Amino acid sequence: MEETITPAIKISDVRKRYGQHEVLQGIDMEVMPREVVCLIGPSGSGKSTLLRCVNFLEVYDEGEILVEGALMGYEMQYNGTRRRAGEARIRDSRRDLGMVFQHFNLWPHMTAMENVTEALISVAGKPRATAEKKGMECLERVGLAEKAHSYPAKLSGGQQQRVAIARALAMEPRIMLFDEPTSALDPELVGDVLQVMRSLASDGMTMLIVTHEMGFAAEVADRVVFMEGGSVVEQGPPDKLFHSPESPRLAAFLKSWTHRNGQVA
Amino acid sequence: MNEVGFILSIMPGLLHGAITSVFVALAAISLGIILGITVCQMRRSQYWPLVRAAGLYISFLRGIPVLVILFLLFYMPSAVNIEVPSLLVAVLALGLNTSAFQAEIYRGGFNSIPAGQIEAAKALGLSRMRILTRIQLPQVLSLTGPELVNEFIILFKNSSLISVIGVTELMRRSEQLVSTTYKPVEVYLAAAIIYLALCLIISRLGERLKGKH
Amino acid sequence: MDALTTFLLRWQSFLAENGPDFAAALWVTIRISMVAIVCGLILGFAAELGRRICPWLRRPVACYVEFFRGTPLLIQLYLLYYGGPRVGIVLDAEPAGMLGMSLYAAAYFCEIFRAGFESIPEGQREAAHCLGIRPWRRLWRIELPQMAQIVLPPAVNQIITLIKDSAVLSIITVAELTKTATRIMNISFEIVMPLCLLALLYWIISEAVAVVSGKAEARLTRHLTR
Repeated sequence: MEETITPAIKISDVRKRYGQHEVLQGIDMEVMPREVVCLIGPSGSGKSTLLRCVNFLEVYDEGEILVEGALMGYEMQYNGTRRRAGEARIRDSRRDLGMVFQHFNLWPHMTAMENVTEALISVAGKPRATAEKKGMECLERVGLAEKAHSYPAKLSGGQQQRVAIARALAMEPRIMLFDEPTSALDPELVGDVLQVMRSLASDGMTMLIVTHEMGFAAEVADRVVFMEGGSVVEQGPPDKLFHSPESPRLAAFLKSWTHRNGQVA
Repeated sequence: MNEVGFILSIMPGLLHGAITSVFVALAAISLGIILGITVCQMRRSQYWPLVRAAGLYISFLRGIPVLVILFLLFYMPSAVNIEVPSLLVAVLALGLNTSAFQAEIYRGGFNSIPAGQIEAAKALGLSRMRILTRIQLPQVLSLTGPELVNEFIILFKNSSLISVIGVTELMRRSEQLVSTTYKPVEVYLAAAIIYLALCLIISRLGERLKGKH
Repeated sequence: MDALTTFLLRWQSFLAENGPDFAAALWVTIRISMVAIVCGLILGFAAELGRRICPWLRRPVACYVEFFRGTPLLIQLYLLYYGGPRVGIVLDAEPAGMLGMSLYAAAYFCEIFRAGFESIPEGQREAAHCLGIRPWRRLWRIELPQMAQIVLPPAVNQIITLIKDSAVLSIITVAELTKTATRIMNISFEIVMPLCLLALLYWIISEAVAVVSGKAEARLTRHLTR
């Protein structure tokens, strides 16, 4: 008997509206454990919105998002309907999800170490000494152990983003969400962050990444999902998607990308 | 230079009154900070009755003169035959007034913290209380520092008004001295110098605190 | 129901008896405030412009601003009203109040205009200079229009503050709103009604000015930013 594995993330027919505009038009997608999935597409395609729905930073209107089998953001009622889950419940369901933002969102009045250990101390309840040990480990993992006591203002963009990754890692999430992690960085600094993400992937982290870095997607992703105008247009292994795209829209998107940036891989 | 000699001779007496002014101001601003943060949080809450109530509080206390607040708190209790000590009325009136202005100052501070920082905190699972105390308040207090120092200076100048309800602070001491010495120019100039000096000290202290950050 | 009618009747008789006095006092408050505001704006602008044009005016104006912003209005009024005769200035309460408040207001407006001038990047003046534009033209066409937007909110706040500060004039016996209210309190032994009416009147004035100026501000800046 084949054992069915629960997907880490299962998105079923998810829809979201902003007023009249339907931003997500029935998305179906799965991310299996230890898989690295990259979401690509033009701006306005809804990829960031979808990512933010996964940890309920944005509210989706219809459909289901199951994180490790549990419904995200909503509670089922006795009569079959559902209602928005309370804040405490939502906070709980985010425990296994780590998030890295485009603009890092470090807290400027705290050092790198303080940023990394804050959630360990106040959410996981760890004593300061244990938290700092773990914090140091995570900072070493991203190559910034010597900057532990620096303030964000003194760090480059790439370093700040790596601290942000360390901060998310410290809580030992099983799934990491990345929202255009390198879009706000100067080109020279992008490489360091991608290197950290590469090593996370090879260590088996489940990752869902919204990115413009096609080269990275081609190299690291197990699967690439192309979105446009609020729907999934095509998805599959990077080799297939980048070298023999089926849909004309993906072909057009890749063409304009390679025209500006050169070959994907 | 009789005048200068005279001014110097009355300084000690005036300074006694100044100490009362400073204490009242300190008490009032402490009250103002606590009330101000509370009302600010009410204003930013999700429950519209709290938002409305906070809005009315702020609008009323900012919309009427400090002198009127003083009179309201001083005379109204006597309508129900309660007597409230002048010092308490003074601290309450000044405190309530400044709390309304501070609530708006803090609101600006809270609004200027990028939303992304709160999102990151939420994504990491921090509770609302924790976000307030560890992420928002430290930044709000440092962002609004200059405005708060300014507010303190205004409050300190307003403390001169509490003389009308009989508190023996700097202003009242000056009036008493004038009525015994008949030298209004010298006495009031001396008091003005003390006010100037104290306001200067407060703003210097404010700059020092800003420099530390 | 009975309590409500008694309440309303009491207010009705109070207003019938004292309404005219309050109305007259309201007019006093408004006219003193308006004089102070207009004189303060003119004097404050003149002071700021003056010290930008004549460097030797910087020290005197700075001292003036420092004094009038660093001391309470009450002391300034006392010096003028009670101390004035010593140096030959003898004024009645109301004129003394108007003069005192004007000097006080001018110092604050001077600082507001200074912030306005300083908010315009120096590069714009340099560009104007290189193009040969004369200073007065530059002031009129480049600096003032941009300043108007920056200066309007703090100036409006200051106006509202000044109207409230006019209450202090009651202490030197000017027959404005606050003095009238306390006088009526003493004569009629009523406490709650005069005070509530007093607070209400100031509150309404403050809110009204804020609303009207908000609309004026929107209209004016739209006109400027086109």
